[in-house]
Amino acid sequence: MACLHCYSESDPQRKQALDPGTLCAALELLRAEGYSVISLSGGEPLVYPPLRAVVERGRELGFRVTMITNGLLATERMDPVLSLLDGIAISFDGLAATHNALRVRSDAFARACGALQRLAAHGRPIAAAISLTREAIADLPDLADHLVSLGARALQIRPVARAGRARSLDETSFYGASDYARLYLVVLALQRELPADVGVHCDLAPANGLWQQRNAYAGLLGSCDRVCREDRLLADLVNPLVITETGSLKPIAYDFDQAFDVASIDGLSFERLRHYKQQDLPKLQALIGGALAALQGPNVLVDWFDHCTRLSEQSHLAADQASVG
Amino acid sequence: MIALPQDPIPLKDLSERLSKRLANFRLSDAVIKGIAERVLIDGLSLVRFDPCIYGICADYFSEKVPQLDGLAARRGVKKWEVFPYGIIDWDLFHVTIAYNVDELEGKGQLREFNR
Repeated sequence: MACLHCYSESDPQRKQALDPGTLCAALELLRAEGYSVISLSGGEPLVYPPLRAVVERGRELGFRVTMITNGLLATERMDPVLSLLDGIAISFDGLAATHNALRVRSDAFARACGALQRLAAHGRPIAAAISLTREAIADLPDLADHLVSLGARALQIRPVARAGRARSLDETSFYGASDYARLYLVVLALQRELPADVGVHCDLAPANGLWQQRNAYAGLLGSCDRVCREDRLLADLVNPLVITETGSLKPIAYDFDQAFDVASIDGLSFERLRHYKQQDLPKLQALIGGALAALQGPNVLVDWFDHCTRLSEQSHLAADQASVG
Repeated sequence: MIALPQDPIPLKDLSERLSKRLANFRLSDAVIKGIAERVLIDGLSLVRFDPCIYGICADYFSEKVPQLDGLAARRGVKKWEVFPYGIIDWDLFHVTIAYNVDELEGKGQLREFNR
């Protein structure tokens, strides 16, 4: 599929894929740097030919391995690799009309639901990853009901990210402050309405609450000189870490500005990561530290990872303008 | 001109789930924003949000003694309770606040009969 809102601008014509040998070598190194979970996404991870080998190697290294898939290919034929996963999420954008329009495919919703129901019936822990345009908020209660009836045991809900092909969507697709409030309140209500064993989570949080959880960044922001940083595991400093289809290692999110890239998986080494911790990490520390400090202002709702990603873009633009000036 | 009280709310609307009433855009952005501003309180972590006899009842937790000085001045607060966990957990306080949310009940809308 070539979804209209794809943050990675994936489509069936783009054949670029990670070399499995290089990827597995990087995973071994990153496991030693403290990372413990691999979350596979895309594009669509089930079209990646060496997927099974990568999943098997990840599990050998001690990773928990999960996947987000559009469900189209999550059929019996893929059961040998699906059975290796610790968790699977099927992605949804709304009810059938909304979902199919964004996926540009008339059977996308039916097939995603079919995959969810089949996997849930086999006793697999299945979640739904729901990304909503502003207009699709109205779909959420009925969508949640439907997905839970099919066997979803968790719903992860977020506003559509203004990234990749989504930037071409109509402006009415994106959220203002009151839309954040609407989505947040709907999720709060759903948490009470849905069965108690269904987890319902939203990527939005009050700034106040995020500030109270700032210790999650103690590893990155704690008082620590250069020598101390070198000794810290990368997973304590940069988490999550994204591996893109070109092999770039990025902090936080796929579309985090490239000025903050950690390294490439090509030729990745402990030495290279040590260099990053010494020389480049302070830039990320400054960005995240500033973003956290700003949470002490008005108690607004924040999409934290998206907020940090937009700050990374602004930081790069500001640096460019300063150098031109 | 005679102002008539509004008709009783139809049963199907009363039974409509809170999530649906919040999600559909019949409730304006201003109303939604107003509800959010009331229930999001500095220093309190909102953990539960339910319809109740007052309108909406919300449960919060706090790791410090809750500062609720301005609570009485907030629009629509009917009552609040603070439960300190004490010897169970000295640093945990459970706060319940009941809000009268006229907007969800459609109150305040008068019909006018124009001659």
